[in-house]
Amino acid sequence: MEHTEQRGTAPPAGVGALSLPARVAVAVVLGIVTVAALAHLTLVFLHVAPENAVSARHREVVSGYVYPEFEQNWKLFAPNPLQQNVAVQARAEVVARDGGVTVTAWTNLTARDAEAIRHNLFPSHVNQNELRRAWDFFTGSHDERDRPQGPRGALSEEYLRRIVLSRIGPETASTRVRKIQVRSAVTPVPPPVWAPGADGTSGSGDRTDGDRSATGTTYRTLPWWKVTPGDVPGTGGAGRAAVVGGP
Amino acid sequence: MSLTGIRAALARGVERVTGTALGPYQAAVVRIGFSFTWLGFLLREWPHRRELYGPDGPWSWAMARQLISGNGAFTTLMWSDGTLWFECVYLLSVISSVLLLLGWRTRASSVLFMVGVLSLQNRSVFMGDGGDNVVHLMAMYLVLTRCARVWSLDARRARRRAPAGGGAAPPRDVTGVALWALLGAALVVATLVPGVSPGWAAVFWGLWLVQALWWAVCRHAPRGELRTVLDMTGNLVHNAGLFVIMAEVCLIYATAGWYKVQGSRWQDGTALHYPLHLDYFTPWPALSEVLGSSGLLVTAITYGTVIVQVAFPFTLVNRRVKNVLLAVMMTEHLAISVVLGLPFFSLAMIAADAVFLPTVFLLATGRIAGGATARLRARLPGGGRRGGGDDGHPRGEDGDGHGDGGRDGPPAGDGGRREPRTLVG
Repeated sequence: MEHTEQRGTAPPAGVGALSLPARVAVAVVLGIVTVAALAHLTLVFLHVAPENAVSARHREVVSGYVYPEFEQNWKLFAPNPLQQNVAVQARAEVVARDGGVTVTAWTNLTARDAEAIRHNLFPSHVNQNELRRAWDFFTGSHDERDRPQGPRGALSEEYLRRIVLSRIGPETASTRVRKIQVRSAVTPVPPPVWAPGADGTSGSGDRTDGDRSATGTTYRTLPWWKVTPGDVPGTGGAGRAAVVGGP
Repeated sequence: MSLTGIRAALARGVERVTGTALGPYQAAVVRIGFSFTWLGFLLREWPHRRELYGPDGPWSWAMARQLISGNGAFTTLMWSDGTLWFECVYLLSVISSVLLLLGWRTRASSVLFMVGVLSLQNRSVFMGDGGDNVVHLMAMYLVLTRCARVWSLDARRARRRAPAGGGAAPPRDVTGVALWALLGAALVVATLVPGVSPGWAAVFWGLWLVQALWWAVCRHAPRGELRTVLDMTGNLVHNAGLFVIMAEVCLIYATAGWYKVQGSRWQDGTALHYPLHLDYFTPWPALSEVLGSSGLLVTAITYGTVIVQVAFPFTLVNRRVKNVLLAVMMTEHLAISVVLGLPFFSLAMIAADAVFLPTVFLLATGRIAGGATARLRARLPGGGRRGGGDDGHPRGEDGDGHGDGGRDGPPAGDGGRREPRTLVG
């Protein structure tokens, strides 16, 4: 420390050795940089902090600055971790070559993601985030009766359709897809057996989010969607991407 | 403290933040960490690049345009829906990551790195997770820093030239001028393309002009006062950037920790149990099962995580405690990388944590890496070149082990002020 300070003051080229205009210039820069850094951190703080009087009053300033490039969310597994497995499943109404119309069985697309992640040191975002976040996007932009809320709602439907069509095979092999239907299957993760009150006799009084006795799977089934050839992404997997359209 | 004491302390502080780019090793390790993370991610996703960010992926170009027209996010991928353009941008992002990792023309490569990160991530926001979010922020913050003072090709070039350049004018920097001209031409084209917001155009043109100014001043008035003022500005911006990086890391942990405190599962000590049973976070089910079967272990890790995250920002006042917590957090992220299958998220968090590593530790790591590189070189045919190593550090820095987390930079940091810096270095 000592010699750091010595060096700090010793060089003749320090601020003190500068001419007055140069010193003023450095002072101005120092002021601007300090104010900018503090303003940035204050706005980011207001963005990540819980809503409070200050952030509510300056909401437009905060979001105007933070979005889109400084957006951030660090509620990692907080306030509570997700306590249910959400599986996205899909089925299709298909036309066979002979013109017969059938409905395929439900395909569990999330189970395929899980399979790709299993025993993989470097799972891909394609399996970890794509479908999972698309479903979050859908539920976040729709009301409880599956009606889209604003333009994001329509976008999320299109996104989900495209993901499903790029993955739904081989159930739709050698047929043409006319409509698809998507549902979610939500299965709660049971609390650990060693947890207090795991025997169901005590200790569950403060558990407000989630009923520990609920272990069954609940479904949310969306309406049938008509699909067009334009709904099939060009990046679907071989044997997985649906063929859409036709007579 | 007396008034004169305060004034003297203030003056010393001003001298330090204007005269030195503090924490050169910390800045370098953050640079290396994030460029390595993003490079690894891009290479890993190479087979999936079109599905993630390509014009005809599930999140199509037209859909991205709808969303971006609303929020104005920066991405070069909206300039064209061509596959060739997409491939160029992806490849450029790979290349700029390599260049930033090596610290080649860092003032330019850090900007290119940011352009690559923002272009890909903003193109498909729903593909990302927390790891992408950290990389996104740090890619922007790194542009502000002088993060290639050590452990970089830029530092090696400056060192090699130093003895020759003694008092004479700096040698011609043909590569620098060529790179600057090339980037200028690219900027002209980019500005003519509708889609670059005036704000971003101003940022890029500003950075480009500053490089020209710096070059001109170094070339024609290397002893002038303007050069000193510019150098001090560079130091000030670097120090502010490094401070923002450190504050951002604190914000991440504080937010993650304080929100957890409010969660009933973190309170009853069972929180860890749940991710260990989620399909998306169990690449090794048997390992998750073993971990989750012990009530003691799960409770300890659950509580430990909250304690560490909430406590971390406050431990910065005490070096020793801070270092212990840093080691705990890095270990936890290594574990997360395997157990929850989030290697790039973990790597990004470790790179962010690294800004708080003590200088002694970084120097020792650098010496070990340097020794290993030298031995490797000696074994290679034609090896043993002198003066190699991007790992070497400016003279007089060994032995100074008091520096810490960017608050106590190594004393030799002022060496850079006298050495003419390159155009984009």
